[in-house]
Amino acid sequence: MSFTQRFLAHAARGRWLFTAALLSCFLIAGKLVGGVLVAPTVIFISDINRTGRLEVQNTANEPREVTVRLAYGLPQSDSLGNIYVNLKDSNITDPKAAVDWIKAFPRKVIVPPGGTQVIRMVARPPKDLPDGEYWARVVVTSREGTTELPSPEGDQAIETRLNMVMQTALMLKYRNGECMTRLELTHRDAWLTEEGMSVLLGMSNLGNASYMGILTCTVTDADNQQVLEKYLNIAVYDHLRRRVDLEFDRSEYRAPFKVAVSVSSEGRTDVAPEDLIVGNDVSYTMTVE
Amino acid sequence: MTAGVRKLNRRPESGMHRQQFAGIRITRLIVAAVLVAAGMPSLASADDVAIGTATATVVAAITVSATATLDFGTVYQGVPVAIANDNASAAIFTITGSASANILIFFQLPEYLSLSDNSDRMDIVFDATDCSVDSTGSGTPGGAWGGGWPDVSPHALPSGTAIGGGGATSVYLGGTVRPRIGQKAGSYEADIVITVAYEGT
Repeated sequence: MSFTQRFLAHAARGRWLFTAALLSCFLIAGKLVGGVLVAPTVIFISDINRTGRLEVQNTANEPREVTVRLAYGLPQSDSLGNIYVNLKDSNITDPKAAVDWIKAFPRKVIVPPGGTQVIRMVARPPKDLPDGEYWARVVVTSREGTTELPSPEGDQAIETRLNMVMQTALMLKYRNGECMTRLELTHRDAWLTEEGMSVLLGMSNLGNASYMGILTCTVTDADNQQVLEKYLNIAVYDHLRRRVDLEFDRSEYRAPFKVAVSVSSEGRTDVAPEDLIVGNDVSYTMTVE
Repeated sequence: MTAGVRKLNRRPESGMHRQQFAGIRITRLIVAAVLVAAGMPSLASADDVAIGTATATVVAAITVSATATLDFGTVYQGVPVAIANDNASAAIFTITGSASANILIFFQLPEYLSLSDNSDRMDIVFDATDCSVDSTGSGTPGGAWGGGWPDVSPHALPSGTAIGGGGATSVYLGGTVRPRIGQKAGSYEADIVITVAYEGT
């Protein structure tokens, strides 16, 4: 093996080089503003390799204190299809929660300007854990600025300071044994709005792992002309009701409209293929007048 | 309906695992390309040329930063001060990540600011129109509105919020402080917590 081959092979194994190259590209492209960059956006750990890592980079020009904690919060939805996450630090009763047996370290660190810190995750699951996927949220917190509290200018003056605290909540998935997903549509509805159309989908995941896929809505008019197509990345853990607003000028098309809805686990480009669990596809077409 | 089954790869920690950063699978060819681009062509020779395909799955990192704080300045007893979300003194948060990706944003907002010795508190309120989500990521409250969700409640930001097509979204936050007539003079502070998560993960 030549020197160059050895060097390249060594470089390919070194994560630091990828980090530097990737972040340099972002910085050169002017994509970043001062803040704390966290990658990846989802962490996969398994019973084969019980460790994981994330990297935190301080893109600001002053040191940042970064804290890392584990919490629990799956995407939930209300009857209108609004999605929210309720982060819980305690009183977690879901048996699918991995919060108690996954540790992150270091949990508190000061990252210098431009510096990168690796946060490692270690899973120590209980014995006889049933097959399936278990979840936690890795919450990375940083504070903006370290300026002193302003001093009042007069005896009766009141000064205020609001500290800006930024949190990124990443999903961590621990996979044990055989994992599977099976998605079912439990509710579908669509109606016209002033802005175009809204679609409401109810989905249930009957598997033991999260369903990660792409939701596609394609609207066509009475002349079978495509009006628009919209894609959304979705993750269904148990039940999810998702509303999709499709904006278009109805006056430019002839009613009635049709909307074809499909959900597929294929095509996600934001997750490495080996981390994706291939699930079933579902589709449905509705006429909307 | 068929069930998707995934069996975990039983290999011991593989080279591919070691090469992952930020969910990015990069072949050695990409490394070579980066090195060459970085001005290290002398490392390559005719003997070292390799032909192959490179595949990459790029997961954009996510950043959240506060470009500006919500600044009420000096306030006086009995005189409420309101800052609209399109005011230059509004808080500005900037979120960068994968263009057009749906994100979940939620605030933990204080109900009061307190003196450092906790001897007095001052009310702060956030109304149902105190927030705007600017999907152009311009970072300019009150600037030309390019798209997004104007004047929404910071207590329940709309579902379907997305990072703008340019890879950034700005969130503007206003609010109102209400010092009492008998409010103690001094320096009051509180935390505003913004949490961001990708929806599709």
